[in-house]
Amino acid sequence: MTENKPNISGGEPVIRLIGLGETGVKLVETLAMIGPEGVESYSLDTDNRSLSRCHQSKTLLLGQAIPCGLGTGGDVALARAAVESDRDRLAKLVKGANLVFVIAGMGGGTGTGAASLVARLAKETGALVVGVAASPFDCEGTRRCNTATGGLRDLKQASDVVFHFSNQDVVQMTGTDTSLNNALEIANRHLCESVLGVSRMLLEPGLLNVSFADLQSAVQGRQSLGSVIHVEGSGEDRAAAAVGKMLAHPAARGGEALKEANAILLHLSGGEPLSLSEMNTVTEAIKQHASAVDLVVGASGPGRDEALQVTVVIAHQLKLSDTEPELSAPSENQSSDVTDVSFPETFMPSGETSYVGLGEDSGGSRRSGFAYTPPAPTAEAITPELKDSLLEAAARQEPDRKKRKKITQEMLPLEIVSKGRFEKSEPTIHKGEDLDQPTYIRRGMVLN
Amino acid sequence: MSDSQIIVGLEIGTSKVCVAVGEVSENQVVNIIGLGQSKSRGVRKGEIVDASLVEEDVRNSIVEAEHMADVEIRSVFLGVSGSHMRGFNNTGVHPVVSADREITDSDIQDVIKNAKAINLPSDHSVVHVIRQHFSVDGQSGVLNPEGMLGAKIEVDVHVVSGRYNRLQNPIRLVSGLHLEVDNIAFNGLASSLALLSTEQKELGTLVIDLGAGTTEYAIYSAGVIKHTGVLAVGGDHVSNDLAYGLKVPLGRAEQLKIDHGSAIIDPEANNRSVDLSTDSVIPGKKVNLGHLQMIMSMRLQETFELIAKDIEQAGLIEYLRAGVVLCGGGARTPYITRLARDVFNLPSAIGRSSTVSGIKNALDEPEFATPVGLIKFGAFQSQTAPRREGIGRAIRKQFVSLFGGKK
Repeated sequence: MTENKPNISGGEPVIRLIGLGETGVKLVETLAMIGPEGVESYSLDTDNRSLSRCHQSKTLLLGQAIPCGLGTGGDVALARAAVESDRDRLAKLVKGANLVFVIAGMGGGTGTGAASLVARLAKETGALVVGVAASPFDCEGTRRCNTATGGLRDLKQASDVVFHFSNQDVVQMTGTDTSLNNALEIANRHLCESVLGVSRMLLEPGLLNVSFADLQSAVQGRQSLGSVIHVEGSGEDRAAAAVGKMLAHPAARGGEALKEANAILLHLSGGEPLSLSEMNTVTEAIKQHASAVDLVVGASGPGRDEALQVTVVIAHQLKLSDTEPELSAPSENQSSDVTDVSFPETFMPSGETSYVGLGEDSGGSRRSGFAYTPPAPTAEAITPELKDSLLEAAARQEPDRKKRKKITQEMLPLEIVSKGRFEKSEPTIHKGEDLDQPTYIRRGMVLN
Repeated sequence: MSDSQIIVGLEIGTSKVCVAVGEVSENQVVNIIGLGQSKSRGVRKGEIVDASLVEEDVRNSIVEAEHMADVEIRSVFLGVSGSHMRGFNNTGVHPVVSADREITDSDIQDVIKNAKAINLPSDHSVVHVIRQHFSVDGQSGVLNPEGMLGAKIEVDVHVVSGRYNRLQNPIRLVSGLHLEVDNIAFNGLASSLALLSTEQKELGTLVIDLGAGTTEYAIYSAGVIKHTGVLAVGGDHVSNDLAYGLKVPLGRAEQLKIDHGSAIIDPEANNRSVDLSTDSVIPGKKVNLGHLQMIMSMRLQETFELIAKDIEQAGLIEYLRAGVVLCGGGARTPYITRLARDVFNLPSAIGRSSTVSGIKNALDEPEFATPVGLIKFGAFQSQTAPRREGIGRAIRKQFVSLFGGKK
């Protein structure tokens, strides 16, 4: 997998942000606006509409032949097909980068399906790959959550480290009476923070440098789960304030996250008067929770403002089922069985390994029997203005169809599943899922 | 011989009713001398849904076991399961009040009583209270505090509870057959007793009993039970999934599962199919082997994943150094150990009842772990509380022998 060495040219590492799917594109747009200089951002989607809203980043339409710019409508297999057909273009996109952020919202089609493939492509070119993933609210439906879990696991296997933020955590943090807009903003902010924190750490000129190599040694090849905490402390005792905020941060889980960490990168940026004692306060606080951890400390020189900015990157090694063997190109030996049972693979129609030819047999641009389905609206899309614009756009594209009003319906009960012999028994409900229904149906697997 | 004691384990399972007869010698060596089983027809997901059918099945298997062991079965240790059962840990505290601060047996009884006083829902009753560790004045890891000095004694216990009414159903049914129920035991606990050696318990092991209606699991670490649980998902679900997905009758699906099932997907299988043309009900039908294996593996994988998630939540995954032991009918699925290894990322094996002797058949088959374990459970019980022959018992014995003699 690591064929070539990372090629750092001119001292600064080449950092690229790749946003996939609607959520990913949105985040990349935001990041491109506020992010530090010297970061290249790209927006990739299968849906023309979401790309047309991009102004800050370079755009690339995935799968010109298969979903032909219409989105995948939550079909993960279709997204994978689109990526496969654009493999060459994507390989060019990631080539030469040292650090690639793959940013995607899990649970939909494009983000879920494409993220791991893009991450793998980037990995093959020798770049350090950081996945940034958002997963949906529990209330968005079990199927969506299941898809998200599968996509996230795939992404973890393909990238060096994944910063994951679950929208559901916002509910736990703020309670259920927060507005949806607000909740999504918080979730987005956390994800942006992690990208900004890492890139700032690497790019800002420092007194004590946290270098690209430090990051690499902390996370490379671990398939780890990470989190980034970025806090500011100001006032008289700014170090203590920052420490307090750091430990109160949801990603720190009251210090638990620090305890479980395998490696911690700490970066302080505090303008001129950054004192040794302040640095000491912060490192001591971390050491209290994680005494034996691999800690790298960096500090940057004269800053822009008075406040002390603390960025902490925490990397955990994965536990349990997450640490499945790294999935390289499907091999013919015994281990290929392992890849077959892992959940994400089950989105593939069995026997099919390539989707490149999927759309071509019926005249090129359309799959046989493929009707245009709008992409399942992501959580972000549910704001009223966006809903209107979605409706408008849909009406524009297909003016002859009047039934577009139903666009917000995410899933239809296409199959009424009989429970067979469990029809009359007490249903086995586990976390809102009826386990009496066949697993393959609940996980959206198709027999062909 | 005369000093040995007969202990019988009865499991009323979803696919079969099984009776194992054990002879326990004075030095607690268990020897299996009889087995009886019959197909179970009145149980779904580990719980009785048709009492009269179950009664008949229990009677048949008891008779078979009596013949084989050449004994009269008067009382049984009954295995219970079902989705209503819960396992959790609790702590009890008790101050030592005696003047010399020496911990006596009554202090120990008191602290365990305190640990039992749990906020159970009103319809629940406690099945097991298993002590894990004592701690005396904050010194933890004490195995037996009797005779030690201290001001405060604490105990960690594992409690298994279930709905009172649903626990009573099988007990009443068995009592109705003029059999005495010595005690009940949670099936998951029983099978772990049968399969695990002391060393495995010490190192930390997860036992998964893959039954037809339910999947029970128990975790041992540092020699004591740390966690138990039940999922009302089992082999019946696999068959039902297959029947639905492959569009074949349930009975045929069951047979397909046994003949061609696999816990992981064989990449070759997709091109192969099974010809069902010999079947008169569905002439000329073919079933794709790839689909069969996929449906099956997804269900089994999901079951393991649910267990893995639960264990991870309990924070016990790090303690399982001896790996995973599988038993129950589902453990016969080809490659099931490989699937377990992949999901839990731990070594896994199919369990054998290595700690007892007797009929080879009963020890090697993973299905018999629970009844064998019930005998071990019984042996432990009678060791701690020696049996007394009361007058009532003697009369009942007469009754049972009358009935038993007729059959």
